[in-house]
Amino acid sequence: MTQPQRDRLAAAQAELLHALLGNGEPPAGFDPERLRVEARSLLNKRRGIVAMLRPDVVDGLGDRFRPLFEGYARAHPRRAGSRAREDAAAFAEWAVAQGELAPPKKRRWWRRAT
Amino acid sequence: MVDKLGVGIGWRPEIDLTVEQLDVDFVEVVAENLHVGHLPESVLLLRERGVPVLPHAVSLSLGGAEPVDAGRVAHLGGLAEALGAPFVSDHVCFVRAGGLDSGHLMPLPRTREALDVLVANVKAAQADLPVPLALENVAALLEWPDGELTEGRFLAELVERTDCLLLVDVANLYANARNLGTDVGRFLDEIPLERLAYVHVAGGVEHQGVYHDTHAHAVLPEVLDVLKQLRDRIDPPGVLLERDDDYPADAELAGELAAIRAVLA
Repeated sequence: MTQPQRDRLAAAQAELLHALLGNGEPPAGFDPERLRVEARSLLNKRRGIVAMLRPDVVDGLGDRFRPLFEGYARAHPRRAGSRAREDAAAFAEWAVAQGELAPPKKRRWWRRAT
Repeated sequence: MVDKLGVGIGWRPEIDLTVEQLDVDFVEVVAENLHVGHLPESVLLLRERGVPVLPHAVSLSLGGAEPVDAGRVAHLGGLAEALGAPFVSDHVCFVRAGGLDSGHLMPLPRTREALDVLVANVKAAQADLPVPLALENVAALLEWPDGELTEGRFLAELVERTDCLLLVDVANLYANARNLGTDVGRFLDEIPLERLAYVHVAGGVEHQGVYHDTHAHAVLPEVLDVLKQLRDRIDPPGVLLERDDDYPADAELAGELAAIRAVLA
């Protein structure tokens, strides 16, 4: 049986990801500088994917995209089970709710793209 | 030993026409980006030409604490059947934990306990896959504390216990040598090279003293040197170039493939 092993591994992996992606405490035994480098690398990768999937959001925010995403990311780490597209959409919605981004124009059925 | 594959490149939608024109013997596709039933025309064209197309997964999280997601395994297996692939692959890593998705291939603690969980997950995936599973070493920026095994021994025991194939990424091995002090020669001596399916080669960049495996930069000569060290031990069935971003001119990719062929010659 691997259940006791699974439980201990789950706790250790969760602690690491919460420290790297969210606001969790750094786990014991890791090099703090490497944790910082890894966290930065993961954030850059996530931001790059959001930028690739939502160029409209990058255009809409301009120079504010990077700093806003930095502020957003740790408070809103990507949830397991979410798709990259959903993660990008969640940031766009947050930016709208913050008043940083104009809400998307409602599409009327008679103007729906063909 | 698996059948000879030759030299290949990662097929990506952004470079589909380039891949069709390059002199490659096989390609790899990212499993999560394709759907059985509406495969890209370019991929079907390569299959018609008889070019092997190998599904490569990034989301099984086989080293994760949770049991394997049967739906993800079924997708990978379905793709293997649709493409007539001889085998499929994913990584020795975890992706999800604690309700979060890292969006990346995270290294595992190299403990016997983590190995037990990995082995159980790999066996579960193998039971539901129609073809053999190859597992790839990942590039790490950090090291877990309290490791009990070298990376080579960890992989060797994984193969012994699951009979999986190995996909050795020489750029990831170089990254770990640079960033974590992994001994390349010892790693290559410790892994069962007779279980090698194929090899990955990719580019990266050094930033503030840390090597980043970006797949968006040129392949370093040092990475080709790791390939040479592997070639000194075995003639690998296949070697595949991965490029995922900042796509260069076709000639540059052709040059990197030629450089790989030169190392193998």
